[in-house]
Amino acid sequence: MLFDELQNMKNKALQSIESAVDKKSLGEIKGEVFGKNGALASLSKGMRDVAPEDRPKVGALINEVRNVLEAKLAQKEEEMARKELEERLNSEKIDITEPAKNCERGALHPIAGVIDRLTDICVNLGFSVVEGPEVESDYYNFEAMNIPKNHPSRDMQDTFFINDNILLRSQTSAVQAREMEVRKPPFKIVCPGKTYRNDSDSTHSPVFHQMEGLVIDENVSMADLKSMLTIMMKRLYGDDTEIRFRPSFFPFTEPSIEVDVSCPTCHGKGCSLCKGTGMLELLGAGIVNPKVLEMSGIDSKKYRGFAFGFGLDRTAMILNSIGNIRYLYRNDIRFLNQMK
Amino acid sequence: MKVTYNWLKDMVDINIAPEELAKKLTSAGMEVEEVIYQNKNLHHVVVGKILKIEKHPQADRLVVCQVDIGNGRIVQIITAATNVFEGAVVPVSLEGADLVNGIKIQKTKMRGVESFGMFCSGEELGIDENYIEGAGVNGILILPNDLKAGTPIEDALMLNDVIFDIGITPNRADCMSVVGIAREVCALLGKDMKKINLNYDIDVYAKDTVRDYVNVSVETSNCLRYMASAVTDVKIERSPLWMRARLNAVGIKPINTIVDITNYVLIEFGQPLHAFDQEKIKGQQIVVRQAKEGESIAVLNHNTYNLNDDVMVIANESEPMVIAGVIGGNDSCISAETTKCVFESAVFDLKSIRVTSRKLGVRTDSSARYEKGVNVANAELGLARALHLVSKLKCGKIARGVIDIANKKNPSRKIYGSVKLINDILGVTVPTSEMVRILNSLGIITKVAGDKLECEVPPYREDVENDYDLAEEIIRLYGYDVYDKLDYKLFEHASVTEGKHHPRLQLERAYRNMLAEKGYYENISYSLVSGDINQKLLLPEEENKLVKIANPISEDISCMRTSLAHSLFLNMAYNISVGNRQLKIFECGRTYKAKSLPLEELPEERNLLAMAVCEDGYDFFYMKGDFEAMLAKKDCEYSLVRSTKPFLHPNKSADIVIGDVVVGSWGEVHPTVALNYGIPAGVIYGEIDTQYLAGLQDKKYNTKPISKFPIVDRDLAVVVDEAVAVGELLNSVKSACGNLYYDASLFDIYRSEALGVDKKSVAINIKLSNLEKTLTDEEVEQVMKKVLKGLTYKFGAVLR
Repeated sequence: MLFDELQNMKNKALQSIESAVDKKSLGEIKGEVFGKNGALASLSKGMRDVAPEDRPKVGALINEVRNVLEAKLAQKEEEMARKELEERLNSEKIDITEPAKNCERGALHPIAGVIDRLTDICVNLGFSVVEGPEVESDYYNFEAMNIPKNHPSRDMQDTFFINDNILLRSQTSAVQAREMEVRKPPFKIVCPGKTYRNDSDSTHSPVFHQMEGLVIDENVSMADLKSMLTIMMKRLYGDDTEIRFRPSFFPFTEPSIEVDVSCPTCHGKGCSLCKGTGMLELLGAGIVNPKVLEMSGIDSKKYRGFAFGFGLDRTAMILNSIGNIRYLYRNDIRFLNQMK
Repeated sequence: MKVTYNWLKDMVDINIAPEELAKKLTSAGMEVEEVIYQNKNLHHVVVGKILKIEKHPQADRLVVCQVDIGNGRIVQIITAATNVFEGAVVPVSLEGADLVNGIKIQKTKMRGVESFGMFCSGEELGIDENYIEGAGVNGILILPNDLKAGTPIEDALMLNDVIFDIGITPNRADCMSVVGIAREVCALLGKDMKKINLNYDIDVYAKDTVRDYVNVSVETSNCLRYMASAVTDVKIERSPLWMRARLNAVGIKPINTIVDITNYVLIEFGQPLHAFDQEKIKGQQIVVRQAKEGESIAVLNHNTYNLNDDVMVIANESEPMVIAGVIGGNDSCISAETTKCVFESAVFDLKSIRVTSRKLGVRTDSSARYEKGVNVANAELGLARALHLVSKLKCGKIARGVIDIANKKNPSRKIYGSVKLINDILGVTVPTSEMVRILNSLGIITKVAGDKLECEVPPYREDVENDYDLAEEIIRLYGYDVYDKLDYKLFEHASVTEGKHHPRLQLERAYRNMLAEKGYYENISYSLVSGDINQKLLLPEEENKLVKIANPISEDISCMRTSLAHSLFLNMAYNISVGNRQLKIFECGRTYKAKSLPLEELPEERNLLAMAVCEDGYDFFYMKGDFEAMLAKKDCEYSLVRSTKPFLHPNKSADIVIGDVVVGSWGEVHPTVALNYGIPAGVIYGEIDTQYLAGLQDKKYNTKPISKFPIVDRDLAVVVDEAVAVGELLNSVKSACGNLYYDASLFDIYRSEALGVDKKSVAINIKLSNLEKTLTDEEVEQVMKKVLKGLTYKFGAVLR
């Protein structure tokens, strides 16, 4: 009798577990089966009426039914939890194309970015970064650079004067003599900074930026200048960059050269940037004029040097495809936010 | 400097095309900026002779012409011009012509009659009345009758030259002439210079000499040589076409025989000449002297200049006739009536001419050459060439004798060079024989003895002084392309040096990157500003003395800025005006303040980082966070005091003080300043002295052990007077907690009517920790009591 009841109860319970729709109904079933007054408890009470010889068998059956139902219940619970989680995850779907948050980035100015890059390149090559005054004496800007007063080479630059002896530096070369006076060779320096010329049109800004480099050593030559500038330009414009020398004139270098750099836009094939020539005239350079060394107290018999200088505005324009020099100083956010 | 291909060919046998010559010159440092073909717009234009003129059957204003264009060809051309006649010789543009004014000639039908070309005016050929008679008339250019029909117009009118526009560097004054460029061409092509004719005829039996017409005295050391010749029986007329053609090609207006001769020699030899009307030289006396105070002169540019002792003049016995080396006066110049003239060929000190030219603001072809330096020997060549041209043009009788005084000749110099040193400078090996060949080709006569080069440098190459100069001469002609494929290790002959970043630039870089990440945009502005910067920023002049430019481009960029605030406010106003209203900008830059005025020593230049923000909800405390982050990188104790910066709101701003130095300030912009710049009143501005901060040690970190025991968290709200500073409350809490202090932070400030006027409730979160043990409630209560007691005692705080 009890035996059959157990079997019936088991089948019924299995069925109701199976068909339970939610946690609540499953909880109710659990109570009905395993509770203090549940089906299993009340059937267990029937053991008293079972013949002693049958008791182990019935006992085993009760245990079996309990185990089966417990397992089924656990399985059902797990299944429900899994389903519930799945539903939750599905309900939490987001639109990944909505805009990002916490991304309020600004940007560095393109010229400042170029100064960062170039000074890194130069420091790696053994140069120290130095600065000098922008309101400068005539002596350091001109005379110490072998450009005496009333000399025709002064015409190469339209200078802003404060008075007869003080001016706005027209070239970062002004820093050369200052450094030569205080440093002991051998040394390598670069000086980035603002420069000023009385010149304002579509391609010239009265305030602009240059970087000057100076190497003073015992045995350096034009060939060292070539190999060093090649590396510098490769690091800046890419490994396939090549450079070429052309004769020129600067009062503070002898020989003086212009350095053409293969156009980074067309790689020498010719484009609108390089006006079809494949090369861009980007630097002035040369061997330091021994007169300049002597004026700054460096023995020109023992030491030789080379110097180079270039416009950072132009470099920034080439590196970032900036078409108009005016953009560099207008600080229009619509321009600057393109540098993000 | 413009020279022409044909002019150069007078002096050198040139066997290469103009374009190739231009390339060679450029590669040797004579940069040819432009090659201009004179005949570019003259093809399909020929000389024609009008044979017959008939009325156009359909149009009253047109005529139909039969024109002989040579080789037996006769074409029909219709014209509206009224100055043509049968037998006239005229320029005819035929089908295919492409004239300088953009007109392209095609066969056309005009009112039913065919026309095969067009007659040209002087303007349509790009020439004027000065070049050829009739070129300036309103109508067709009527050519001389002797021109042969069919001749290309470029040949008939000598418009067939090629012009090179060359950029001459300041060290090569000797190349400011056709002769100078020709010398370079000789060196480039390995040719010898042809002899230039300097001979002229004089009547050896004539009794008169130059001294019968003029006497010269030189009374200034600024005159290095003065030569003069006299010419009588002068014929003032149009100079021949070949001479006009040359002058026209290089951009000089032909005038008359004598004036054209002076200009021809100027271009050819780089020797400025002046021609006086002999009869207008008072007292027949030329005096070269400095001008006297109070003298003045009316000159050929229609101006009158007041002179002084700085200006050298060529005077007659009583007054200046010419501003020496710069420009001639009206009174003594050559005119149509001139019958006798005196040529001056002089050399002046370059500085003197430069100073005068700058001072008067007059630049001429003469002054341009003198201020770069004319060689003393050149005066002689120039004068001889001018007299040769007088003979050749048969425009006068040359008097015997030449005046030549104050002749400060500079002979050729000897310098010595070292083959090894030259190769060391160049870093490539140029064979000695090549060095010698190149130097000789440049007129630097060179002998070799072992390593030594013995060089005789001609007087016109004053720029060649030492091995470095020789190295340049050699390499520019040997060819810089030797470096193109040079396989050379980096710094093969250089010492190893340690590269160091600039400390301030490095600090600024860290700050700039941080700010850019936080949404700020970096600005770089002109450091040149308008003169009202101090007024606009309410800055006192005496502490912000302006560095003013003597020769500014315009008022708005005439002074150096005394504050970065000006730049950022202008940038902000500009951006707002173009619709960018949410702005966070910063700039690293300098301010410039004169130590005393007028400026005697260099001004103080200070590097600062400045920020300006115009953004909804952004206030004083946001920027405070930025400055705290910046200061956290440095090992420094700083305090905040109310700012005294006049351009900031006095009660919403702070100064950052280290020791007794104000290293930074920030706060809301002063409402008056906001108005001055047209920016919103709530803008927050700040600046910090990166130069000062860069001098401080980097922050050193000193960590402490972390307690194993739990942190105790307590909140405390007290009511205090509005004037009590939160910072001071927090400091009091900290000291009351003693060594149990872990953290104290503000989490709320609350104001209400119930609290009372000028009262606020400040809620503070306090965290306590002990390294040794778990704190008991009793211990915590004790500390909290102490904290409250302190707050009550110091600030009258009442527990809320």
